[in-house]
Amino acid sequence: MEFGTIEREIYVEASPEIVFEVVSSPDHLKQWWPDDARYDPTPGSAGEIVFGDPEAGGGVVPFTVVDARPPRTFSFRWTHPAGETAAEGNSLLVTFDLTPSRGGTLLKMTETGFREMGWEIAVLEQQYQEHVKGWDFFLPRLAPYVATLRVRP
Amino acid sequence: MSAAVAEKIDDDLWSAIGDPTRRRMLDLLLIDGDGTATTLSQQMPVTRQAVAKHLGVLDRVGLVRATPAGREKRYRVDDAQLARAVAQLSSVGSAWDARLQRIKRIAEAIQRTQQD
Repeated sequence: MEFGTIEREIYVEASPEIVFEVVSSPDHLKQWWPDDARYDPTPGSAGEIVFGDPEAGGGVVPFTVVDARPPRTFSFRWTHPAGETAAEGNSLLVTFDLTPSRGGTLLKMTETGFREMGWEIAVLEQQYQEHVKGWDFFLPRLAPYVATLRVRP
Repeated sequence: MSAAVAEKIDDDLWSAIGDPTRRRMLDLLLIDGDGTATTLSQQMPVTRQAVAKHLGVLDRVGLVRATPAGREKRYRVDDAQLARAVAQLSSVGSAWDARLQRIKRIAEAIQRTQQD
């Protein structure tokens, strides 16, 4: 089991209040990530996100809100086994930190956890990228992941 | 290969390349062309035994290939398997890049709507 962190930062020309809404509300979440999202955006709330059609080989992934402090921080855990309480060691922790900057927002995303857990989900997501293809604006301008991966043995 | 077997191999591959000592060993093997547990341990702050164990992990997931060399084994990096591992790792990072780009687009569209 390897502990790894992915960190990303992006500047958004929108107020922290708007960015917070986009990263935290289930209705917005499913615009930028899963096909469906069912949770209450308050700390401790347990729900799920859905990729594809669960009846046809898609997947339902547990999703638990850890912290929600508008408009500064939103964090959640995902990929823990269904029925288990999300905690360190059984899930990936995603944290969004929002900082007002130049009239917009500096959005920082950190995902930490045992990388092995992310793999199955990555495969699942890969299979359901169809709804994402219309977003031709996100041409990958990507720093190689390996260069930014920090791993703790 | 069944999907379950493929997934298991991918998990192991992920785990094998996630370890900093093993990544350093891969670096050294790529630089030197090949190496044994003895030659690698001379360049790293770990024992020959520890290096041999790490080489075993890399061998099991196909990241290195061994040939007999006297009492030891000589290892080379398997280029195809390394390329595959790197591609898998980058897919997770790029997934977040894509999500953040979408977050940016959505938030900026809402901001513009509110200003109009």
